[in-house]
Amino acid sequence: MDLRAGDSWGMLACLCTVLWHLPAVPALNRTGDPGPGPSIQKTYDLTRYLEHQLRSLAGTYLNYLGPPFNEPDFNPPRLGAETLPRATVNLEVWRSLNDKLRLTQNYEAYSHLLCYLRGLNRQAATAELRHSLAHFCTSLQGLLGSIAGVMAALGYPLPQPLPGIEPTWAPGPAHSDFLQKMDDFWLLKELQTWLWRSAKDFNRLKKKMQPPAAAVTLHLEAHGF
Amino acid sequence: MAEMEGEGLRATSKAEVGNQMAAPVPWACCAVLAAAAAVVYTQRHSPQEAPHVQYERLGSDVTLPCGTANWDAAVTWRVNGTDLASDLLNGSQLVLHGLELGHSGLYACFHRDSWHLRHQVLLHVGLPPREPVLSCRSNTYPKGFYCSWHLPTPTYIPNTFNVTVLHGSKIMVCEKDPALKNRCHIRYMHLFSTIKYKVSISVSNALGHNATAITFDEFTIVKPDPPENVVARPVPSNPRRLEVTWQTPSTWPDPESFPLKFFLRYRPLILDQWQHVELSDGTAHTITDAYAGKEYIIQVAAKDNEIGTWSDWSVAAHATPWTEEPRHLTTEAQAPETTTSTTSSLAPLPTTKICDTGELGSGGGPSIPFLISVPVTLALAAAATTTSSLLI
Repeated sequence: MDLRAGDSWGMLACLCTVLWHLPAVPALNRTGDPGPGPSIQKTYDLTRYLEHQLRSLAGTYLNYLGPPFNEPDFNPPRLGAETLPRATVNLEVWRSLNDKLRLTQNYEAYSHLLCYLRGLNRQAATAELRHSLAHFCTSLQGLLGSIAGVMAALGYPLPQPLPGIEPTWAPGPAHSDFLQKMDDFWLLKELQTWLWRSAKDFNRLKKKMQPPAAAVTLHLEAHGF
Repeated sequence: MAEMEGEGLRATSKAEVGNQMAAPVPWACCAVLAAAAAVVYTQRHSPQEAPHVQYERLGSDVTLPCGTANWDAAVTWRVNGTDLASDLLNGSQLVLHGLELGHSGLYACFHRDSWHLRHQVLLHVGLPPREPVLSCRSNTYPKGFYCSWHLPTPTYIPNTFNVTVLHGSKIMVCEKDPALKNRCHIRYMHLFSTIKYKVSISVSNALGHNATAITFDEFTIVKPDPPENVVARPVPSNPRRLEVTWQTPSTWPDPESFPLKFFLRYRPLILDQWQHVELSDGTAHTITDAYAGKEYIIQVAAKDNEIGTWSDWSVAAHATPWTEEPRHLTTEAQAPETTTSTTSSLAPLPTTKICDTGELGSGGGPSIPFLISVPVTLALAAAATTTSSLLI
């Protein structure tokens, strides 16, 4: 199997271990928590904001990659990019995820995706692209912090970095420009899909945590002045 | 052989006569016997059994040979039992030019003298299929989606469709709809997939073949059914309010995990311009800026909160805001009775002034805020006295 496409991810994985714990810092400062409800709502809102931001960013970046990547019908097979966290999940499995697992999967996914995005930023050719990517990375960092906050409020530990990541790496055979672009394409696609999934994940969490008082106030508005 | 043929014909005519004479005998019984006799005779003596089925293209020319008969054989052609003129013949072959749909039918050629049936052709005039129109939609997200198809123009002959669904390299089953024959259903096994779905359809009939395919992401085809049971009610003591309630479409399987947002539009019947309100949750809304006394038409649409497109508009609900009952009608009714030809608008009753102000309001929006119902009538009366003089 051709491993050349995956090598860039391997190189970045090492970098990711260093950056892993950075988003955890904001979560430790929370005191006097009113409950996880508002922070779940905030996390949900962040995923929507990021999804909108990504739409314009992806459009610009895919145009920069050029055809066929910016064609709407582009439908390549999923080769390489093996280490990208995949949003796709069996319907029943997704439904039955417990809160801790749901949050953990989101947290781990965005940690990896953030790391890869930073790698993308380094390679980007134009200053405008680098600026847009940097802005998006900052927002994504905020999302990670928000998820960490929810996990802390619910008493769940933050996930540890995955074992088996080599501390040193040897630069693999230089893989083609096209394969690199394929990796970039899949990164953006996976990021977009994860943001859609997260919206649904946080919806589920929001419904579970919803205090009963909110339902009462809605009724008052409908019948009174 | 000719004698046998004559017997066959006589047998059928006898059965027909029997129909008229033996009234108590059920006619169905006689018809079955006659048919059986005819079949036996034709099978024994005709060289062809079942008619040859033939499909020809609309507008084309066709030459029908009389089976294995020689070109110079003396034959007569009939279509659906009606004789055809001999000028259509080229020897023993029937020639039809510029086929029309009316040419479809059962053609039979007979030996001219013996009336021996030589050959039968069941002719169907039609067209090869054009490129089918295929579309897919998920109104039951995340359960699955369905695809439906049709031909842009009819072929007039039977068509068979074959649908294949690919998710990446994996083939998915598309189950036929039990009621609709141009629809099939696919169940999602995985959600949040980055791999596109490709649905291909091929259509073929006796005259040709065509195909098309569409590719899409899981999220782009999500479109719920319209909200159900949209009801609009006036609010008592509130002449500018209408309370609207609806239900999430029953086909949407999981509104808890996949909540819908709604879009409401309303207008008075007399105007063309819609007002719009987008609602992020809840299945009720109170319109607070309705024009008093005007009948409204209200519709609601639904969309998944994050993905896909808006549903079609719901069935419309109609309602008129609450209006105050005329209070002086019983006491002052005696006075206008002497002048029955004049309309009530000439008499300065406070009740009619509410209607007049309503007419004004439809022009450009009243400036008086209608917050509490009781002072409103006083304010209306005050405004009406000043404006009614302008009207007249």
